[in-house]
Amino acid sequence: MTIGTFILKNALRNKRRATLSILSVAVSLFLLVLLLVALREITLPVEGAGAELRVAVRNKISIANLLPAKQLPIIEKIPGVEAVTPFTWFGGKYRGEENMSFAQFALDPKRVRGVFTELKMPAEDYAKMEQQRDACIIGKITADKYKLKVGDKMTLESTVYPVTMDFTIVGIYSGTPDDRNMLFRQDYLDESVPSTKGMVGMWWLKVKSAQDMPKVISAIDKAFENTSAEVRAESERAFQLGFISMWGNIKLLVGLICSAVIFTLLLVSASTMSMAIRERFRELAILKAIGYRRRELFVFILAESFGLAAAGALLGVGGAYVLFTYNDVGKLTNGMFPSFEVTPRIVATGVLVAAVLGIVASIMPAISVAKMSVTEGLKTLD
Amino acid sequence: MATNGNIVSIRNLSKVYAQGDIQVTALDNISLDIAAGEFLTLMGPSGSGKSTLLHILAGIDRPTSGECHVQGVDVTKLNESQLADWRNQNVGFVFQTFNLLPVLTAYENVELPLLLTRLNRSQRRRQVEIALGLVGLADRMKHLPKQLSGGQEQRVAIARALVTDPQLIVADEPTGNLDSHSAQEVLGVLQSLSKEAGKTVIMVTHDPKAAAFGSRTIHLEKGELSK
Repeated sequence: MTIGTFILKNALRNKRRATLSILSVAVSLFLLVLLLVALREITLPVEGAGAELRVAVRNKISIANLLPAKQLPIIEKIPGVEAVTPFTWFGGKYRGEENMSFAQFALDPKRVRGVFTELKMPAEDYAKMEQQRDACIIGKITADKYKLKVGDKMTLESTVYPVTMDFTIVGIYSGTPDDRNMLFRQDYLDESVPSTKGMVGMWWLKVKSAQDMPKVISAIDKAFENTSAEVRAESERAFQLGFISMWGNIKLLVGLICSAVIFTLLLVSASTMSMAIRERFRELAILKAIGYRRRELFVFILAESFGLAAAGALLGVGGAYVLFTYNDVGKLTNGMFPSFEVTPRIVATGVLVAAVLGIVASIMPAISVAKMSVTEGLKTLD
Repeated sequence: MATNGNIVSIRNLSKVYAQGDIQVTALDNISLDIAAGEFLTLMGPSGSGKSTLLHILAGIDRPTSGECHVQGVDVTKLNESQLADWRNQNVGFVFQTFNLLPVLTAYENVELPLLLTRLNRSQRRRQVEIALGLVGLADRMKHLPKQLSGGQEQRVAIARALVTDPQLIVADEPTGNLDSHSAQEVLGVLQSLSKEAGKTVIMVTHDPKAAAFGSRTIHLEKGELSK
């Protein structure tokens, strides 16, 4: 027998409790990894060609307030601006679905390619979009989900405008971080909803270089200062974070849930270790009597606690890694999370939490064993 | 301090427990010498201080005052860590309730004190086999405590006490939980350790028949030696 075997035999002496402890650590760490990955995916900066050069311009009051289309020539003339397109959220329901799984935006088909350069689609499909009034293009994820192909008709009932519109699919695009959206012509929307003709939801534009970005943002804000439609221009990254912040302080919320998970986990582990040690007080007293010192007993307790936490981490963090790496989370979440990457940093965080847990859970039992005299320990048995 | 052939030499030993505001005297100014190879039995009514005396001279409790020399070492002067080492090398413990670890086999229970030594695996194996052979349990090495009878468990406990080859064996009512047949076996083993192996055995017992196995019996009453 070695010290290692001795520790292992002690840790597994109550197999049901050890299994339940490991599972509780595993489930909690799985949840922690899930939350951390979700938070990362939500707040991840947009990547892809052009994303770092894009600027979103919205109404300063709120994103729900429209902007006048007549702002376009003013924005286009600002030095550093390469391309601009209107971008109006339609908020349509497809096939009567209550929860929309893809968004629809009206835009200018001639300008969109200059702004969203990563959008991949044959040139002739763009041409068709420019020629055909009711044309729309859809992302590949949505096309696959609804088994749609070029030439198919789509009918969308808007939840924003009092209108139901028919569209013809002229192209299917890919290449964006989230190939789900449906894009159609702003002028078709204007015709269908005369009451908002001459208004757009927001502007998306591309600047010529990264150096131009701050100057352009400042110039756009200034250009519409003290007008009836003041704007807020911001980088795509800032816009995305601002959009997320409309859900509330999601970082704080996820942080609080993570803290609660870790704290609960700590209580469970500490309680398990305390129970395991309390029922072994007499044996620990015997070990002390036959010559084991406090530090050796502390190592036994620490190793046992650490072992349980490590087994939980292996199952929970390892399980999350395998599940999210080898399964198409995009499909499972209906495209809500196109990617769901368990990064090395998140794995390390999970392992670190388990390690700290193992140490902290062993502290109180170790202190009580260190304080226990052999005679006190022996009294607990007789 | 000169030992004059005594393995244990106790001088003016007192132990007072504080129970709230009340002071309870467990041992009152005791002086006692125990010769090497002696099988000493300690008798007395419950609360007379016999277990306290045994615990102090085995280094698992500390006196309030006085000296306790065992093999020339004043155990009252050792710190916790030194005491632990000293116990491992010099004292073997046998308890009333056997106190074997239930998850370990007889062999592993006996091997436990040796894990603290520098012996390698084969040296440990040899020591364990000798110790289990001495108590007549060489054929029960792989048995768990629950697979052994009470007498066999206590003999495993004696093997554990012997395995580091200590000079002093302390036994606190080792037959208290055994039937008379098993008790005879255990007492026989302790007696032979004293007579044949030259070990000093100090045993606490309530039973005069058990005490009769010893070479000397002393009585304690209210913390004082009465005979």
